Amino acid sequence: MQIIFFLLAATALISGIMVVIQVNPVRSALFLVLNFFALAAIYLLANAQFIAAIQIIVYAGAIMVLFLFVIMLLNLRQPEEGGAHRHLGQKIFGSSLATAVIALVIYKVFRMIVPPGKPLTPDFGSTEMVAKSLFTDYLLPFEMTSILLLVAVVGAVILARSKVE
Amino acid sequence: MIQYVWLVPVFPLIGFLINGLLGKKISKNTVSLVGPGSVGLSFAWVLGCFWEYLHLPAKAKPVEVFVFNWITSGTFNAQAAFLVDPLSLVMLLVVSGVGFLIHIYSVGYMHDDPGYARYFSYLNLFVVNMLILVMANNFLLMFVGWEGVGLCSYLLIGYWYEKQSASDAGKKAFVVNRIGDFGFLLGIFLIFYTFGTVNFREVFAQAHNFPVGSAILTIITLCLFVGATGKSAQIPLYTWLPDAMEGPTPVSALIHAATMVTAGVYMVARCSALYVMAPISMTVVAVIGLATAFMAASIGLAQNDIKRVLAYSTVSQLGYMFLACGVGAFVAAIFHLMTHAFFKALLFLGSGSVIHGMHGEQDMRKMGALKNKMPITYAVMLVGTLAIAGIFPFAGFFSKDEILFKALTDGHVGYWAIASLGAMMTAFYMFRLIFMTFYGEKRWDHHVHPHESPPVMTIPLIILAILSTVGGFVGIPLIQGWNVFHEFLAPSIAHVAAGHEVHHSMTFEVMMMLVSMGVAGIGIFIAYKMYIKQPELPAQVTAKVPGLYDLIYNKYYVDEIYDATVVEPIKNGSVFLWQEADSKVIDGAVNGTASVVDRLSLVIRKLETGYVQNYALGILIGVAVITGYYLGR
Amino acid sequence: MSIDIPTICLTNIGPLITLSVAGLLLLLFDAFSGKAMKKAHFHQFSLVAVVIALLQTVWLWNRQTTDFSRMIYVDNFSFFFNVIFLLGTGISIILSVHYLENYRKNYGEYYALMLFAAVGMILMAAGGNLVIIFLGVEILSIPIYILSGLFREDLKSNEAALKYLLLGAFSSAFLLFGIAMLYGGTGTFYLADLAAFIKKSGMNGFTYVGMGLLIVGFGFKVSMAPFHMWTPDVYEGAPTSITAFMSVGTKAAAFAAFLRVFLEVFPTVRMEWDLLLWVAAVATMTVGNVTALAQTNIKRMLAYSSIAHAGYILVGLIAGNQLGATGILYYLLAYTIMNLGAFGVVIAVARKKDNYLNIYDYAGLGFQYPGLAAVMSVFLFSLVGMPPTAGFLGKFYLFSAAVEAGYIWLVIIAVINSLISVYYYLRITVIMYMQPAEADLGPVAMTPVVNATLIISALAVLLIGIFPGSIFQLAMNSVKIFGS
Repeated sequence: MQIIFFLLAATALISGIMVVIQVNPVRSALFLVLNFFALAAIYLLANAQFIAAIQIIVYAGAIMVLFLFVIMLLNLRQPEEGGAHRHLGQKIFGSSLATAVIALVIYKVFRMIVPPGKPLTPDFGSTEMVAKSLFTDYLLPFEMTSILLLVAVVGAVILARSKVE
Repeated sequence: MIQYVWLVPVFPLIGFLINGLLGKKISKNTVSLVGPGSVGLSFAWVLGCFWEYLHLPAKAKPVEVFVFNWITSGTFNAQAAFLVDPLSLVMLLVVSGVGFLIHIYSVGYMHDDPGYARYFSYLNLFVVNMLILVMANNFLLMFVGWEGVGLCSYLLIGYWYEKQSASDAGKKAFVVNRIGDFGFLLGIFLIFYTFGTVNFREVFAQAHNFPVGSAILTIITLCLFVGATGKSAQIPLYTWLPDAMEGPTPVSALIHAATMVTAGVYMVARCSALYVMAPISMTVVAVIGLATAFMAASIGLAQNDIKRVLAYSTVSQLGYMFLACGVGAFVAAIFHLMTHAFFKALLFLGSGSVIHGMHGEQDMRKMGALKNKMPITYAVMLVGTLAIAGIFPFAGFFSKDEILFKALTDGHVGYWAIASLGAMMTAFYMFRLIFMTFYGEKRWDHHVHPHESPPVMTIPLIILAILSTVGGFVGIPLIQGWNVFHEFLAPSIAHVAAGHEVHHSMTFEVMMMLVSMGVAGIGIFIAYKMYIKQPELPAQVTAKVPGLYDLIYNKYYVDEIYDATVVEPIKNGSVFLWQEADSKVIDGAVNGTASVVDRLSLVIRKLETGYVQNYALGILIGVAVITGYYLGR
Repeated sequence: MSIDIPTICLTNIGPLITLSVAGLLLLLFDAFSGKAMKKAHFHQFSLVAVVIALLQTVWLWNRQTTDFSRMIYVDNFSFFFNVIFLLGTGISIILSVHYLENYRKNYGEYYALMLFAAVGMILMAAGGNLVIIFLGVEILSIPIYILSGLFREDLKSNEAALKYLLLGAFSSAFLLFGIAMLYGGTGTFYLADLAAFIKKSGMNGFTYVGMGLLIVGFGFKVSMAPFHMWTPDVYEGAPTSITAFMSVGTKAAAFAAFLRVFLEVFPTVRMEWDLLLWVAAVATMTVGNVTALAQTNIKRMLAYSSIAHAGYILVGLIAGNQLGATGILYYLLAYTIMNLGAFGVVIAVARKKDNYLNIYDYAGLGFQYPGLAAVMSVFLFSLVGMPPTAGFLGKFYLFSAAVEAGYIWLVIIAVINSLISVYYYLRITVIMYMQPAEADLGPVAMTPVVNATLIISALAVLLIGIFPGSIFQLAMNSVKIFGS
């Protein structure tokens, strides 16, 4: 189990880093798909089948395909050479700082004695359970998320619509 | 009437609202009626209260008039309530009385000014705040008045804003005053922290529970004194007052001589119960007062602008008041505050009359021989000068003599010596002013036709001259039973717990009086010698000690030093932070000279800030610091 | 499988429902109604919604309870903040109308997004669960990202929106990570449970990181140094009406959440965060005030000023006592009114198309528009903290709370800072009253409603400064929920 988890986690991490450092946007997007798959597998390991399925269907499937289409339609040019060297000092400083922070957190977390978690109920992570908690305890957040999505859609329309008036 | 004492500030407030909001719509005569009239009503009301207070049974005093609960919270309480006690009554009489006279005078002085209504609305607002300041029953309400008078002073100094110097002076006054206010506000916070209340009577009642010289009381009193140095123009915050003379002369008389600048003295006297518990602070107050008295007097020796001489004289006289406070003679300080209000208002208004008659000329070198052209002005100015110089029997004699006497007996012989030297200089520069202005040859330009001012201006002058003459009799120090002023004020003032009550013989007192008269006489004589007998002498003296003269003439270069050490670094710091912290490309045309911009843009090009990744980096650094703080331990 | 349906009471989220439904209806109207009628009625419609929401809020007074499975608190704390938010939203809507017409941007979506943002704010103040608070942050932020970029043809507006979006997403990630860490350390999202856990078992590595990252997330939203750097650029670039809206709304909402989380969940470990916030508060005040001195663009100046005010408010949070919390509430109310008032004047003076934003454009305003200059002076004096305005009392409450809690040095620094701030606020007054206009100012378009709003705001600033009693009592009632 543990080995599989670490393999998947490594895949997710490496693909995530690749998304950021790839120059070609299409490749970036494809690495993102890989990242999503790795994450979905980790969800499965954690017994969260529903989330895993949603992750693949919605993110890796629908959203990333849309992304790829947009990227191809926009026909983004390769950024000119030398772009990678701009703000090099900042990049190095920033990434080393971030690494240091993460390293510190990981170090501390590994040394912590974590109390054993509660055993899972057999139907944990099933669609029913997710649905149940979404429509009982998490009803308000669920509804509010719909407002959030609506707002994002409206915003996209406002910013993208062709000049009127 | 005392129960309705809150009406006292309400009258001028109504005046302010009428003049401020409707000033453009109502006629000039209405403005002239409303402005001084509202203050006159206040004065009348104060007189009534005073009369009633004198006849109150002793156990009903002092009176606290509750208006409404201003701030209430579980632990904290501040009321809008007024304290009527001898100290506040004296201040009320001075503020409303002198204020009333100056309002009347202004009717004549400002008659042709286009902003007539605006002027009176500011002046009324000032009176409102000043009255709140002296009537407040707690530190916080006092602070309201304190800030308010500062604001009005600033508005009135910059009243002729078309003059760059005037608006600069206004700004300077405000900024310097804020430094003082900082001390005052900190003092209030510390008082709240220590005593749990800001009510005067509660705080003072508790103060006795502290040991004499306790650190917290020393710090509190020093903070309060920082506030006082700002408002009352003491070292190191006195530089704004001479510049404040850019305002109209009645304003200088009201705010920068008679009332607002004495607020610091009032505050120290009000807090006498705290100060007597803090000997170190008392010494600081005395030394600062003494140093200011001496330094300002020496600067006054070499000034040629008639109002500036008076301004430095004010700074110097305020120094005497603080000296008195510092040696524990709070009553003497208030006494001098009162007589000073009379004669300094008189001198300022008199100088205003001279300036008015000279068509705005303020340089004494361009005056001379005005004695016959303006006889009334001359006469009243002479009265005022005799009073400030401390000549018997004018008001200043009694009050200043008491301060000098107390400095000797309760302070130190060194205090007395320096203060006496200052008094000599005072006599010298004041008579120099009189001689240069009214005697000698006429030096004015041929197109100037000096004339006496109209009665609306001279009548207040005459009243003030009478007050400057007889005002001292309430506090004749010699015979114990005769010092009415002392007895009246006693309930409001705390005394230094003196281990040894020394009784000085009457001969000693009389001798000291003669000595101080003699000192003043020497000053007058030198002035007479230099400016009447041998007019060539001043130039020779100057030539003998050029360094010293330059130093005094340039006011010890204090302004320049402040500029270089305080103002410039702050300005640079601001620009520096801006560049470092956010620095988008600066619009050079707006922000300064080309060379600065060149340098700036160089820096910016290197830093390339304004970029989103820099901001993100900032956030990341913050995150790193926080996680490091929590986990790196 | 049995499902226990939790009991819910819709009146408890009445304001949320009203605002959301009004937002939706506005979107529909905008899409389907005729051109002629719609322009004039959007803002009226949204104002009506705000007023109804306000009435519903008042209805909820003194109902100390939770609802939706403890997801939200229905208490006086959220009541007080709801009033602030709705007041802020209402005034912002009034100030927007004319401004938007000048730009021909009087869209229905604009008002709808504002209402949705208000929904986000209310969630942040009422949230009893970190999930709700996070959702509130996002529902508030996304409309503001969009509204900042409303003027697409204006590069600065684009820049503002993009910067805010990127950095906001960056900080949201930290906030979310912090919430995850807290969950990892305690196994719950509920504030009450978190508080119980920490009280019982103390802090552990997860909760430390979680708490630290919450400081980052909230710190970003309130413009606390060093997370403040977006503020000037975004405030300057965004449409002025939106700058006004976010300067009060976002800040108040973020402080609501900040206050609720830190005083409910972490009061027992105060020693762990007060030093950190102490340093941040000092840095925030100092950077804000000192940098504001050098500004000549009034929006930028007000941006730095808002940073400085965040610093003052942090003083109350650090004090962490009843008086401090009360002071924060009072101050935020005062700040909402005075800052919106100041921005209202800025909008009026900027006239067509933001042409007059330099502070020297205010020269001579005191003579040509004495009323406008007078109300501006009141707002500025209040921002300075001059008695007897509300700003003075607010500062006084905050600082005396810190004194009471023993943070003397913090108060000294804060007082020095408010001293520095005098200079740049007062400079505007000086310019208005003491410098002649270089040219005729031209017509400043004022509608009666805007006039009335500005005058009432100015009077309110004075009134709650002179008679603060009832507001203070209200605020004190509202923070009773925080133990000591």
